[in-house]
Amino acid sequence: MRSPVLSLTPRAVNRVRLAAILGVLGPGLVSGFADNDAGGISTYSVAGVKYGYDLLWVLLASQIVLFFTQEVGARLGLATGQGLAGLVRERYGVRWATFMISTMLVANVGSIIAEFAGCSAALEIFGWPTWASALLAATVVMLLLTRGNYSKVQYLFVAVGIGVSLAYFVSAVLAHPDWGRAANSLVVPHLASSPAYWAAVVATVGTTITPWGQAFIQSYVADKRLGPEDLVGERLDVGLGALLTNLIAGFIVVACAATLFSTGRTDVTDVPTIAKALEPLAGTAATYLFAVGLLAASFLGLGVVPLTSAYATCEAFGWETGVDWRWREAPAFYGLLTFFVVVAALFVLVVPPGSLVQVMVTAQVVNCLLLPFVLVFVMRLSMDRQLMGPLTSGRFLLIVGWLGTALLIVLSLTLVATSVFGL
Amino acid sequence: MLYLSQAIGRPVRDQAGEPIGTVADLLVAIGDRYPPVTGIVVKTNGRQIFLQWSSVASLDASGAVLGTTAIDISKFQQRPNEIRLKQDLMDRQIVDIDGRKVVRVNDLRLDEVEGALHLVAVDVGPSGLLRRLGLESSWRTIARGLHRDVPERYIDWEDVDPVERTIASVKLRVPHKGLAELHPADLATIIDQLSRSDRVGVITSLDDEVAADAIGEMEPETQADILEDLEPERAADILEEMDPDEAADLVADLSEETREEILGLMEKDEAEEVQELMTYAEDTAGGIMTTEYVAVPATLTAAETIDKLRVLEPTAETIYYVYVTDDANRLVGVLSLRDLIVAKPDTCISTFMLEEPVVVQTDASQEDVTEVVARYNLLAVPVVDPEGHLEGIVTVDDAMDTLLPQPSWRRLPHIFGRGGSER
Repeated sequence: MRSPVLSLTPRAVNRVRLAAILGVLGPGLVSGFADNDAGGISTYSVAGVKYGYDLLWVLLASQIVLFFTQEVGARLGLATGQGLAGLVRERYGVRWATFMISTMLVANVGSIIAEFAGCSAALEIFGWPTWASALLAATVVMLLLTRGNYSKVQYLFVAVGIGVSLAYFVSAVLAHPDWGRAANSLVVPHLASSPAYWAAVVATVGTTITPWGQAFIQSYVADKRLGPEDLVGERLDVGLGALLTNLIAGFIVVACAATLFSTGRTDVTDVPTIAKALEPLAGTAATYLFAVGLLAASFLGLGVVPLTSAYATCEAFGWETGVDWRWREAPAFYGLLTFFVVVAALFVLVVPPGSLVQVMVTAQVVNCLLLPFVLVFVMRLSMDRQLMGPLTSGRFLLIVGWLGTALLIVLSLTLVATSVFGL
Repeated sequence: MLYLSQAIGRPVRDQAGEPIGTVADLLVAIGDRYPPVTGIVVKTNGRQIFLQWSSVASLDASGAVLGTTAIDISKFQQRPNEIRLKQDLMDRQIVDIDGRKVVRVNDLRLDEVEGALHLVAVDVGPSGLLRRLGLESSWRTIARGLHRDVPERYIDWEDVDPVERTIASVKLRVPHKGLAELHPADLATIIDQLSRSDRVGVITSLDDEVAADAIGEMEPETQADILEDLEPERAADILEEMDPDEAADLVADLSEETREEILGLMEKDEAEEVQELMTYAEDTAGGIMTTEYVAVPATLTAAETIDKLRVLEPTAETIYYVYVTDDANRLVGVLSLRDLIVAKPDTCISTFMLEEPVVVQTDASQEDVTEVVARYNLLAVPVVDPEGHLEGIVTVDDAMDTLLPQPSWRRLPHIFGRGGSER
């Protein structure tokens, strides 16, 4: 026999190293990118059109809070290897789990409706009636999710999304925005007492930090079987994801502020109008560019939010989860997916024409209002030493985390107070 | 019959009927077919006290009544073979061995067996969920009105395997007897649904051989993940039990550090074999071949050859062909098992062996190997180096792997599928 050769093929070694990096650099970036879905793009656009640079400070603040909430979520996944819903069930019992899931599902159905509204709004530009676009979106989503080729197709959506993000960046630069004012607004909070302003603040926060985002990052980390040793890489990943999300959001706001707000067109927020933010780059094709971007963003969100929702529900109740089961084997999972898609499609059908953008923004407000209910569970779990071991939140992270949660509660209450009681 | 959820929180009264606290938990002794209840944890004045089951006169949905006057209020103590039903089992994940999947505990069913209360079944059905939510009776009323049944589903405790983390509160080694009896493919499917720490726990408890078979059925990425998490000595033992070609593929996926450590801990022969196999590219004959084959010198008789087979005890995969080699390990002929058996015992094998058998070179592509195996209807094809030395064989199952389409779920990100983690 030959003598054993100790050197290894370089191919095998390289693959492992690459995998080790890609394996960690993932969940945060994916989650961050999916944040800029249909609801995200339209909310940031409306914020820029209506309030110019005034909401930039909200972006910076929510980026910071997003980093810390995603970090806690990822850390829970690393320490326990479990999703959020399953963990809540094990720690707080079936009633609290049902409560949290219900809360999250309401928010998520809102998000899914927003994605459907995004599809319809985008296809309206190309002359499609709402029923046709809703039907198309529902069919495409169900096929992509259940036939199992979403993971490939999502790169197309991500690519289009990156393209549109770059387009906003170029447009923002070409429009010669007031950079000094933008920088000032980024760090100096602009406070106003109008309910509409607070609604815009809440929507901006709500589209950045989401209940589904918390469930998604934790499940993704757990299912990638990352462990405590991946903490540093995961923090980097989450940080990059949060930075990227808000950088894109910032350029959308600046582009809208420089092109639309500055010319005084602040009252109309339909798609053809907010698409004009891309005119400095694309000229008359701006509307079509925006529509394509919005469509891709909608599908990107539709690939993540329904699955995350069904996944979390089935995890908590111990039902078969995942698209590799057949319908017969996982009726609850597929039933939920179908339910979400059908409800969202029907909702978009009954929305009065012309208010699709409003639907998308309102869904983000709902997300923000329900977010504290989810975050309280996340924060409490992260304090549990028995569960988290060495990854238990330290004092600093606890203070920052609870402060962020408290701010969100105050924000939600402010909105409720200003809109309901007109304070 | 009593459900755990019906007893928890109910009052505990002394002989005189005076309430002294509430039922916090029940203890059972693991080991028997149906674990008997051995104690009760009573919550009284904000602390938990432990009472022997012998001091409890009765326990039902209305609460517990104590039978002794003297109550030992020593602080709660738990013996090594005892688990707490609520804390350790309720809402946790268990393996349903019969159904071959991971499910969540909705409730626990206790029954009177031979005068003592035993844990008999786990409630994993909708009725248990409704009971926990306090909706069972109203739901039943509605269902009766609609002439529908409320679905119930129980798993006999005998068919339950509590996964490791479930009972992390006690240092109890779960034997996983039921799991070890499953088909390796089923076992692999179950292990793949578990979280990282549970997976390691289950694998650790299995025999080397059972563990090797189960790991052999998993996705390459999952295999590597598990081996990285195991104690290196254990990983080495398991690798020794695997087919060398499988082991080589697996070892190639490990990180450099782990690989060297594990190879160092393996038996010298086995480690050398694995290392040699690793030098071949994965998609060539050398990469898919195994070094487990039977080779004999041409001077033997048929009877001697059969005796040798008895001594070597070849695996089912490799027994059909016996290869004949010269002193320098060059392949000179091949015998089928049939040839051996029908030949007269004292004939020399060189007289009836097939000379110049069909061979493939170590660097032949996997497709070429498949073609050769298919064209000549072989169960295995020998692999030789340029000088004609026998290096290994490729069995028909490994050769045909290229023909199978990749199942769609293998291409999915793991979060939404049970396939290998997407790395």
